Amino acid sequence: MSTEKLQFTRDFVTWKPWVETVDEVGPNEEQAALVQKVAPNPKNREYYATLAHDVPALRERTLIFNEIMAGRGGAARADRELAAVATSRINGCVFCASVHARAHAQISKDATLVDRLLNEGVSAEQPEHERAIIDYSVKLTRDPAGLTAADLKPLRDAGFTDAQILDINNAAAVFAWANRLMQTIGESVAPVAE
Amino acid sequence: MAHDGTSAATTQVAGTSDVIEQLAGITPGSKLAQLRAERPVLVKATQGSHEALFEPEDLGGVSHRERDGLALRVAVLTPSPKLVAWHRARLTGQGEGAATIAAFGQGPDGAGLTTREVALLRHADILANTPGEATPANIAALKAAGFTPRDIVTISQLIAFVSFQARLLVGLRLVGEEA
Repeated sequence: MSTEKLQFTRDFVTWKPWVETVDEVGPNEEQAALVQKVAPNPKNREYYATLAHDVPALRERTLIFNEIMAGRGGAARADRELAAVATSRINGCVFCASVHARAHAQISKDATLVDRLLNEGVSAEQPEHERAIIDYSVKLTRDPAGLTAADLKPLRDAGFTDAQILDINNAAAVFAWANRLMQTIGESVAPVAE
Repeated sequence: MAHDGTSAATTQVAGTSDVIEQLAGITPGSKLAQLRAERPVLVKATQGSHEALFEPEDLGGVSHRERDGLALRVAVLTPSPKLVAWHRARLTGQGEGAATIAAFGQGPDGAGLTTREVALLRHADILANTPGEATPANIAALKAAGFTPRDIVTISQLIAFVSFQARLLVGLRLVGEEA
């Protein structure tokens, strides 16, 4: 394992498992088919080949993750990605933050906001719209029981509807899940210098 | 809040097929019911995850008692009063006594837990509150307690799912409170 903390970055971070993958122990047909389906890109394969030890849990989790991050309607995809990055920034998942920072930069065609979030943290200066998403995600990550309806006011003031608020909430929530998985059964690995 | 955790957990006995609907106290035709219906895949797969982790066809090496005990501890730490009540009620339904249920809630120092359960709860404590602090030694501790790689993946999914579920419920609570 690494001896010092990795820096948050938009560069390609990799991930290595601490648990044998199904590839290493010999996948059954169901595991092999599911990994092929959810991780067609070999770059991501090890994570899913680890989770495939429990097929039903991985299958359902994948459905939830994809619907929350890319389902039609509701909050803008860039906003969901921002909630994911803010949550990952708090929970320390460098891999998750890098993947979703790249997605945010690509969708919004602007890397400056998300780079500031990665480099300076969740308190870094942001426009009002992004500020509302980040602050809500931070509260939900740190103190879910302490939130009240008053904590929705900045999102309301920024024009978010009920459905959009639930989408932002759920993007932060699904990263409470993703960050814990990724950092329990393995670890982020620094990008290799070119 | 329209429903506290205890009443939501007891309605389980009546048995609907949607845990979130019960825990959030969502009534048919309400604003929350309509909002949830906009994301049917999420509704179905959230219930599917609950079933995969708490009512699986194949338990592997992690018992019902261990699954609900672990979830109870994560709910205590998060905290999520509704999920605490829910997993207490499930453990009671499995025939566990008040002392055992209290021990799970207290975590690794709880009285009368097995060596395996103590290892599970140590893992829960790291993950629930400081997910960035896990190390390979935590995996080694689970293996030493007799858990297989598959069990370790299940345990990690379960802890992470409860952390998600607790926050999903918060969103519904806040939007519901505003109404």
